[in-house]
Amino acid sequence: MNCEQSKALLAEYWSRSLGENDEIAFEAHIAGCEACRKDAEQLGALWRDLALIPAEEPGPNVRARFYDSLAAFRQGMESAPKRSLRQRLMALWPAQPAWQMAISFALLVIGLGTGYQMRPGAAKPVPDAPENSELAQLRGEVSNMRQMVALSLLQQQSAGDRLRGVSYAYQVPSSDTQVLSALLATVNTDPNVNVRLAAVDALRAFGASPVMRTAVMQSLHKQDQPLVQIALIDLLVDLHETEARPELAKIAADPQINQAVRQHATVAMEKLK
Amino acid sequence: MNATDNAVMAQVGSGEVAKMAVLFERHHRALFRYFVSMNRNRELSEDLVQDVFFRMLRYRASYDPKQPFTAWMYQIARNANVDQAQKRKAEVVGIDEFDERRPEPASDAPGPEEIAAKGQDVALLKRALERLPSDKREILVLSRFNDLKYDEIAGILGCEVGTVKVRVFRAMRALEQIYFALAKEKSA
Repeated sequence: MNCEQSKALLAEYWSRSLGENDEIAFEAHIAGCEACRKDAEQLGALWRDLALIPAEEPGPNVRARFYDSLAAFRQGMESAPKRSLRQRLMALWPAQPAWQMAISFALLVIGLGTGYQMRPGAAKPVPDAPENSELAQLRGEVSNMRQMVALSLLQQQSAGDRLRGVSYAYQVPSSDTQVLSALLATVNTDPNVNVRLAAVDALRAFGASPVMRTAVMQSLHKQDQPLVQIALIDLLVDLHETEARPELAKIAADPQINQAVRQHATVAMEKLK
Repeated sequence: MNATDNAVMAQVGSGEVAKMAVLFERHHRALFRYFVSMNRNRELSEDLVQDVFFRMLRYRASYDPKQPFTAWMYQIARNANVDQAQKRKAEVVGIDEFDERRPEPASDAPGPEEIAAKGQDVALLKRALERLPSDKREILVLSRFNDLKYDEIAGILGCEVGTVKVRVFRAMRALEQIYFALAKEKSA
């Protein structure tokens, strides 16, 4: 065991949760290494004393407030009007025109495809035959439909709809520049942080695009939400985007930027070395 | 035998929202301690505890019983804390960076061993903890005060277990430096 490995075991050593073999190896190391023994003893004493700091207790009204809120929540659930079978069936039909259009289009495509297969004199499918042009055309139409739904949902007022739009973006080909542009616009301008975060995740599918990588680097400075900045930094690290290092250095050195983001940028720079 | 947190939360998710009281009784003190250690504001921390349980009720359907409940709850708590910090537009006070090297004691000042021999001053330790950068303070609060296992913390922070252990060591080293710096100030 070397000093670096022993440092990784210190936390468990202090909390007495080391496995038997690790403990034997650790004890053997600190017996011969004064620096690590000092860490184990001095930091260990501090670790033990942390338990002496009195725990802050919440005030008595916290419990009362919680039970009031819980009662109000249950009352709200119970007072919600019960829906009839017809209403429940109707609720399955989406309210958004984009979804209605998508389902109608999908049913039409399925109907046409089934009808074509069942036409008199239709050839039996040959096992391992090359993909025929009708099937390729059908696939192309489905892909276009997904693109249309994704783009349409990303423009909706409701954050929930826009989140669904982001999830549709996973199903389009990674070469789809229209959806990529819409996702980048969402990352930069969407008023809802959760939608922006989901869009950052969806950008991973477009990792091969240099346009996306450049846009992500530029977006780092446009963001006002630390969570989104951290997600973007993680994305650049996952993509091994070494050209992001100068941008990350600027962020790490900018005192106006959130401290956690700056630290994250510093760690990311090390990972991208 | 008491039901596990995961099982209770799964019941909440399936509509038995009254069971949230079980989780409140189990976790609200630890959550309060987490928040008050992070923002040092009791009133705000009490509000944040309420906020976490309300968010868990609201998003109960999104809970996956295969996912550890504690990690899910603390992820919600961290988000609530970040959202609140955004609203306040105020940075949590902290010392930006501490050199990770062992501090060299000045010849006329008491060294670490001497200070340690005088007995650890708990009030001083509390001050040192408050001055830690928030990410280091957070990992010590989760591991030492809230007794979370390292794999649970890794789930909360979204990193490897090995990274958590190394970060605990670094946080302790930084705490030691601040503690000894405060002790020297006090004895000067």
